[in-house]
Amino acid sequence: MSALSMVAGAPGKYIAWGVIQISVTNLTIICVMIVLFILALVVPFPTHEDEQSEHEGRSR
Amino acid sequence: MTTRTGELSPAETTDPKNWTNKLRGRIEGLVPPGQALPARQPVYVASWIYVFGVLTLSSLVVVVASGCVLALGGSAWWHVSSLGHYTNSVHLWSVEMTFGFMVVHLWGKFWMAAWRGKRALTWITGIMLFGISIGTSFTGFLSQSNFDSQWIGGQAKDGLNSIGAGAFFNVLNPGQMLMWHVVLLPLAVGALTLVHIILVRRHGVVPPLDAKLEG
Repeated sequence: MSALSMVAGAPGKYIAWGVIQISVTNLTIICVMIVLFILALVVPFPTHEDEQSEHEGRSR
Repeated sequence: MTTRTGELSPAETTDPKNWTNKLRGRIEGLVPPGQALPARQPVYVASWIYVFGVLTLSSLVVVVASGCVLALGGSAWWHVSSLGHYTNSVHLWSVEMTFGFMVVHLWGKFWMAAWRGKRALTWITGIMLFGISIGTSFTGFLSQSNFDSQWIGGQAKDGLNSIGAGAFFNVLNPGQMLMWHVVLLPLAVGALTLVHIILVRRHGVVPPLDAKLEG
């Protein structure tokens, strides 16, 4: 059996909290998606005005 | 009357009783002029949260394309071919990306109350797409042709039979589930996606809650 198939066949790790039970993998994915959502709200989107001001800054 | 050069007479192109004219009029009126593929958008669209809809659409294109390649080799191809295995992995991970982007798109639109401004049907078709996409992916898991798909089918039939859904389809029938996965459900997803995009272009993207609109 190759190392890859051993990893794929290994049982998942679960976190249990009362009636809630979730695998560490799924919890990690949900956390990454929430971080991605927050980043999408706060990270500024590049615009043509930014590019123009950057060009003007270089030409000076 | 058709002329010798193949051009239609003015009477034929404007006749309101002609069903082709009626259909053309309806298609042309689906979105306002110039809004089918606009080159400019309102200033509030310059935000990363507005990118996730088109990311969902882009990854869906990869899902469909990789699914078409998998259809050439059949459902068992990926077990016996490295190319088939690679294509299967592209199909799986593009689905994962589609759902990831779709959920962030859904969160963004929910907190933006995207059903405002006569956009209720856009919201409803989006929610329907989310539900049908889940069904499409689940039937994909049932079409893996391995012990995993058998186990998933065995678990799913208990839940579905408990609510009576087992009267309409059988998750333990791999042929039926494969046909649902590659024909019926993708057709529904494709048609609803088209309606969803037309509605977005018809009503425009929803402005943020605090946006000051002109007029």
